[in-house]
Amino acid sequence: MTYQPPAGARDLLPLEVAQKAWINDRLQQIFRQHGYSRIVTSTLEWLDTLTAGGAIKPSTVIQLKDNLEGTLGLRPEMTASIARAAVTRMAGNIYPQRLCYRANVFRNPPKNYDGGQLEFYQAGVELLFAGGIIADAEILLLLANCLQDLGIPDWQILLGDAGLTRSLLSVFPPNIRKQVRYCLANLDRITLENWDLEPDLKARALMLFELRGTPETVLKKVTTLDLDPTAEATVINLQSLIDLLNRSSKNPLPITLDLSLLQTFDYYTGIVFEAVSFHDNQCYLLGQGGRYDRLLGLYHPQQESSPGVGFSLNIEDLHSALITTTRLPQQTPASDWLVVADTAEAQVAAFCHAETLRNSNPEIRVELDLGARDPEAIREYARTCRIKNIAWIKLDGTYCVENISY
Amino acid sequence: MITIALPKGALLKDTIELFKQVGLDFSLFLDKSNRQLQITDPTNTAKALLVRAQDVPVYVEYGQAQLGVVGYDVLREKQPNVANVTDLKFGYCRLSVAVPKSSSYRRSQELPPHGRVASKFVNCAKEHFRSIDLPVEIVPLSGSVELGPITGMSEAIVDLVSTGRTLKENGLLEIEVLYESTARLIAHPLSYRLKRDNIDDLVAKLHGLVRE
Repeated sequence: MTYQPPAGARDLLPLEVAQKAWINDRLQQIFRQHGYSRIVTSTLEWLDTLTAGGAIKPSTVIQLKDNLEGTLGLRPEMTASIARAAVTRMAGNIYPQRLCYRANVFRNPPKNYDGGQLEFYQAGVELLFAGGIIADAEILLLLANCLQDLGIPDWQILLGDAGLTRSLLSVFPPNIRKQVRYCLANLDRITLENWDLEPDLKARALMLFELRGTPETVLKKVTTLDLDPTAEATVINLQSLIDLLNRSSKNPLPITLDLSLLQTFDYYTGIVFEAVSFHDNQCYLLGQGGRYDRLLGLYHPQQESSPGVGFSLNIEDLHSALITTTRLPQQTPASDWLVVADTAEAQVAAFCHAETLRNSNPEIRVELDLGARDPEAIREYARTCRIKNIAWIKLDGTYCVENISY
Repeated sequence: MITIALPKGALLKDTIELFKQVGLDFSLFLDKSNRQLQITDPTNTAKALLVRAQDVPVYVEYGQAQLGVVGYDVLREKQPNVANVTDLKFGYCRLSVAVPKSSSYRRSQELPPHGRVASKFVNCAKEHFRSIDLPVEIVPLSGSVELGPITGMSEAIVDLVSTGRTLKENGLLEIEVLYESTARLIAHPLSYRLKRDNIDDLVAKLHGLVRE
């Protein structure tokens, strides 16, 4: 019998770990530079916590056996856990809260996806207890900063506004609104066209379906509609956000405004966005996020609502988008020194010398030879492992250095 | 360059005709001696992949093709995550329940509980019988479904009907239509949203042609 990881799970070997760490370390460094502190929440949560508010369906959560108190689930994303921790454990802290994470999340793959991935690695931020366009702009600029710094080729941001789309949908009678929303979210133009709707409503639905493009053209089109005061305010906000982004970024951000960018169910209330890259005929969903001004209230003991905005980046997709570039480390780091005891009696001296080397420079990598090999085999090993120097240690602690050429 | 997935089989000729009208000539795929599965049109503006109809939504969902043409029947059966952009109106057919003419069944409800139904459209068949609360055993086949009742393996079939000739010649009777199907233009969702490779222009042109 062979033991394998379950379908959808996998092992990461050292080179892949080094490459993904390179990505994630850079991201965390950028998050730190923007004043975010890392938070670690539990991998396991009550299923009720994860699915509170109905945005996450229980079927997408990998559930663990019932115990007496209820069902547990492996977190499918981090925002719910962080929201829970922030309003319960960090209450009374100074606001706003800037939190970041690097973590694995788990998703039950849909039924027809044989061997679909179960475990995903993410890095992300949540800016809690802060509403308004300045916070939105901070998050979008931070996202752009991350993608630029990593050197992702040909990336774009797809930006929507769940609040504005909701207002635009409010002209539809409640009984058909849900279906229109479904068609927009799932890009089903055919159902809208073949639908036996009043001509005005149908024209409106098809117009909403096409509301995407450069922010300027889309917002111009939206302002020609008769908007209710909420929608009007949202449009003005969105205009100010775009303006702020354009003026605060060295290069204009590649943003496509898409007012049908929404999920059938989600917890977003304001801006929503996805970061995408196209490379070598592949499309990568690098990250996603948005504003959720009602989520924190779900977890607050007194249901006190507070705003929040954030994003998560998908490490696997970032890695795939970068793998054909030369940005990632191409090899695991090699040891700088191989320390070899000349005789069994010199072993103590070898340990001491290795320690002295390590203390000389915290970055240095020193490994010990474990004996039972002749000098030529040791040299061959050093060459194979790209080790630059061998220190041959004598009983009295003196040593000679041999540089390995390979 | 935009890549379009074209379906082998019944829809191919009309599909190639449609793209010809917007200036993209993939008629090499109709040439019997051609063995190439990926070609570029003579004006060098678009690539086409020749794939089995069931695989069109797969290439589009994964983004290897930004556009594709496929029957609604395949979409309904596979439920792929793709944008449904335009009803191309050609390639009409319907998914129906059929039984031997000699049987007494004239409605799905009259079929015996736990009877057998042969079909290529396992999910659609399941959905239909679940909706009328009739427990049946679906026997998955990949072709010549009409043989199910002829050989006595199943009481009924759920299969595509276009003219009804095949049913008639095999002594079968269409008793219920599940849905009607036509060819659809589908798109990779993110490419469509981000208007990659001017996908919106091409879609608008095709859309305009169909509406004329």
